[in-house]
Order: sequence, then C-alpha cells, then structure tokens
Amino acid sequence: MVKSGKLGYYGTLIAASCTYLFLYVPLIVLLVFSFNTEPFPSPWKGFTLKWYHALFSASHLWASFLNSLIVAICATAISLAMGIFLIFYAAQGGRIGKFLALFYGNLVIPETVLAVGLLGFFTLVSIPLGLTTLILAHSVLGLGFVIPIVYARFLELDYRMTEASLVLGATPVQTFFKVTLPLLRPALIVTGLLVFIVSFDDFILSYFCAGSTSQTLSLYILSMLRSGISPMINALSAVLLLLSCSLVLLFFTISKKARTQIF
Amino acid sequence: MNIKFLRKPPATEIPFIIGAPAMIWQVLFFYLPLLLLALSSVLQFSQLGSFEGFTFEKIAFFLRPLYLKVILSSFVLALGNAILCLLIAYPLAYFLACVGKRHKNLFLFLLIVPFWTNFLLHIYAWFFVLEKEGFLNNLLQGLGVIAEPLQFLNTPFAIMVMMVYYYLPFMVMPLYSSLEKIDMRLIEASLDLGATWGQTLRRVMLPLTKRGLKAGFFLVYIPSFGEFAIPELMGGDKMMFVGTVVANYILGDETGSLGAAFTLVASILLLLSAALLYFVIERLIPGKQHG
Repeated sequence: MVKSGKLGYYGTLIAASCTYLFLYVPLIVLLVFSFNTEPFPSPWKGFTLKWYHALFSASHLWASFLNSLIVAICATAISLAMGIFLIFYAAQGGRIGKFLALFYGNLVIPETVLAVGLLGFFTLVSIPLGLTTLILAHSVLGLGFVIPIVYARFLELDYRMTEASLVLGATPVQTFFKVTLPLLRPALIVTGLLVFIVSFDDFILSYFCAGSTSQTLSLYILSMLRSGISPMINALSAVLLLLSCSLVLLFFTISKKARTQIF
Repeated sequence: MNIKFLRKPPATEIPFIIGAPAMIWQVLFFYLPLLLLALSSVLQFSQLGSFEGFTFEKIAFFLRPLYLKVILSSFVLALGNAILCLLIAYPLAYFLACVGKRHKNLFLFLLIVPFWTNFLLHIYAWFFVLEKEGFLNNLLQGLGVIAEPLQFLNTPFAIMVMMVYYYLPFMVMPLYSSLEKIDMRLIEASLDLGATWGQTLRRVMLPLTKRGLKAGFFLVYIPSFGEFAIPELMGGDKMMFVGTVVANYILGDETGSLGAAFTLVASILLLLSAALLYFVIERLIPGKQHG
C-alpha cells in the first residue's frame, strides 16, 4: 500500500484504541472499586468481598430486579406473539406490506414523548400505574423491533421450502408451523433477546409509567444514585456486566445462525 | 400448475383479524396516546373535567423566549452530540469493517457489552471518573497537568461526555454495516491514483456510506433531543433541556396538560430541525444514495 494507506491504517488503529479506552476505563474503575474495603472517595485500602455480600442480602434490590425481569419477559412475549400472528397472516397470503410503516415510528420518536403520551392515556382510561402499564409500554417499544426485523427475515426466506411443502400436500397452516416458523426461529430468538434487554435496561418509560408502587431495577439504581455513592452499586455493576456479557455472547451465537442483520 | 401460483401461497380466506393484534396494539398504545397528547394540549377542560372548547393558550405559554431558549439548548446538545458521535464513530466503524476485520467479532462484542448494560450504571461509573477526587482529577494531578482538582461534574462537559458515551453505538452500528458492504478496492484505487485521505473520504467513502451515516445521525440526534436523565444527573439543576422541563411539568401536580403542550411544541420543532438537517446532510455529501 502507498504511504497514505499506512497513515490511515495506524490512524484508525489509534483512534479505535482510544475509543475502546474511553468505553472501558470507567467500567474498569467501577469494578476495581467494588473490591475496595473503604467506600469511595477513599483510595485503595485492601481487597474485600463484603459489598458483594451486602448486595446479595439487599432484598429490595432483588425485588426490583424481579420486577424488571417480569416486565421484560412479558413485554418480549407479547411483542413476539403479535409478530408471529402478523407473519402467520402474511404467510397465508395476507398483504401487510402497506401496514408495515405503522411500526417505524416506535424507534424514531424520542422515548420521552412516547412516555408522556402513554402516561396521559393510562390516566385517562384509568389503568393504575404499575407493572401492567410498564409491560404495555415496553411491548410497544418491542413491536418496533420485532415487526420490521422479523418481517424482513420472512421476506428473505427461501420460497422453495414453502413451495415444496405445499406441493407435497401440506396445508398452508401446516406449512407455516412445520416450515416457516422453524426457519424463522433464530431470528425470533435474536429479536426477542434484543427486546428483552431493551426493556430490562429501560429507564425513561419506567420513570414515567411505573407509578409509585412498583420499582424496576433502573428506578432502584436511580434512588441509590440520589442517596449517594455506595460500593454496593459497584458490586451490582459487576453482576450486571456479567449478565450482559453472557446475553451478548448468546446473541452473537444465535444471530450468526439467523443471518439476521439487526443493526 | 404455474410457478407464479406457487410463489405465493394461495390466498386462503384467512380473516384479517388474525394479523390484526399487532396493529390494534400499535394503534391503541402508540398512536392513540400520541393523538391524546396533541389533543390535550389544545383542549380546555373546566375544573370538573367537562369540555369547554379549544385553546391555544397552553401552546402560546411556551412560545416565550425562556422556553425557546430551552428548546435551543436541546438542539445544540443533540446536534453537538450527533456530530461528536459521528467524528468518533467513523474511524471506529472503519476500523471494525477493515483494519480489525480478523477479530471483528471480539471488537463488536466489546462495543455492545456496555451498550447492553443498564445505563444508570454508566452514569454512576462516570461519577467515579469525574468526581473531585475521582480518577480523571487524580490522573491529571499525577501527570502534573493541573495543580488543583477541577470541577467536572455538573458542567456541560460532563453532560457531553456522558451523551457521547451512551449514544456512540447507535452511530457505530449503521456506519459499520454500510462500510462493511463497500468494496474496499475502491478506497485502495482512490489512494493509489493519488487522492489524499481527505479526498478519498469526501469523494469515495462518505458518498458510499451516506445511508448508514444518515441512519446513525438521526438515531443519535432524535433521542438526544428529548434526553432528560443524562442532563439531570450529570448537569445538576442549572441547565434546562426539553426533557428536564417535560419531566418537571408532567410529574408535577396539576401541570400535566402544560407538559403535554410543551412536548407537542418541542416535538414539532424537533421534526422541523430534523428535516432541515436531513437536507443539509444531503447537500454536504455528494452522490446519490448507495449502500
């Protein structure tokens, strides 16, 4: 390569290293201080696991963790189920192309606007704020991911598979459940993971639509942040980082199989 | 039997209602609330809740310099964030697509892990770094750059750092998938034929990655405009942005419909500014839409 090519090579190498440092230095500092005997801002004093003990015996925290888990699982299930219904309809010859544009707004509008709208709506039809409203709000967000991604994957499926199934005498409904759905399974799992994590980590919708009775993990962390720095949050970060590491790994493994381009 | 018949399964008499749940859900929990939001900002209700007519008072309330300044600062925040993200993301996306291609799964993994971790923890992590006795001050003092610790938290600097930190992957991902698709020999050819890196970037790479660039830009710009958690937690209470004002009104007593009106005003201005930026990008980057 010519000289300027080398320059570009080392240039991007340095730029990328700096960006990764920027991304990881805060997290590493966080993790290191989760093992410090004295709370921040004290410098390093010695190694301890006591913050992890404190973390695992904090029952409020795990209650909110459970809430987040319930909301994320329900929202994922609802948006996936609705996606499957829609694809089923499309696979039976229904035309949904023109309806697809309905779902593009979900990811485009600022979440704050959606949250404000939903809050007004829930108050008007008097659904009490709580886990139900959170599930509803997150499932809307989930639809914005599920419908476009899964439908795009459905259009890419090899038509010869369904043709073969139909020619060999399966009914369209059998074809859907025995051929189309299994072919779509990796894409559904990958999208489901994405919706799960978006819902689990969501802050803005939860902040507006949770009400005062049900606390999600995000809201719990917020209250901890407001009451001051505690090394327990550092320990929690380590646990959650481990969780997201394993979810991303799972996501990578399956999305390779699904050949689904999420981004 | 002809092939055309087989390409599409025969249209059975499947009722539309089977495919409809997603649409009903979408209309009920997305479009209806947004419509109500718009309506509640122009409708007037009496104390008892009976309908009294239309009013533009609530909208007019926000067309004052104080609130327009808030909207302007959100615009600056969002635009600054989008531009900074673009400047940082482009080399990184190029690195992922070309230079680090062999280990690209590892690098993508490292990019997505923080992105998939609760974002309040990122804010907490940056508290650690930016505190008076935090990592950055210690580092700068250790290097002898500064004598006294600097105030980083509750400054625009802290807000901007956190915004870029959080929104960066939204920019990298679309850019990466655009860059990954272009034929790298085009870049080599351009360089071999004597173009500088700047010329190659402007005439070859940017036009070819225009789609990803636009996607990334608006994926960052639009949500940053309404962002309220980051300014609120990193910026203290001195600086007001659209998101913080909306949250204050909506969660305050008796001011809900004012919050709705402000959301409407800000959303309209957001749409206008996004359209304007779209045309600016179209003008700045030559070439038709590719990749």
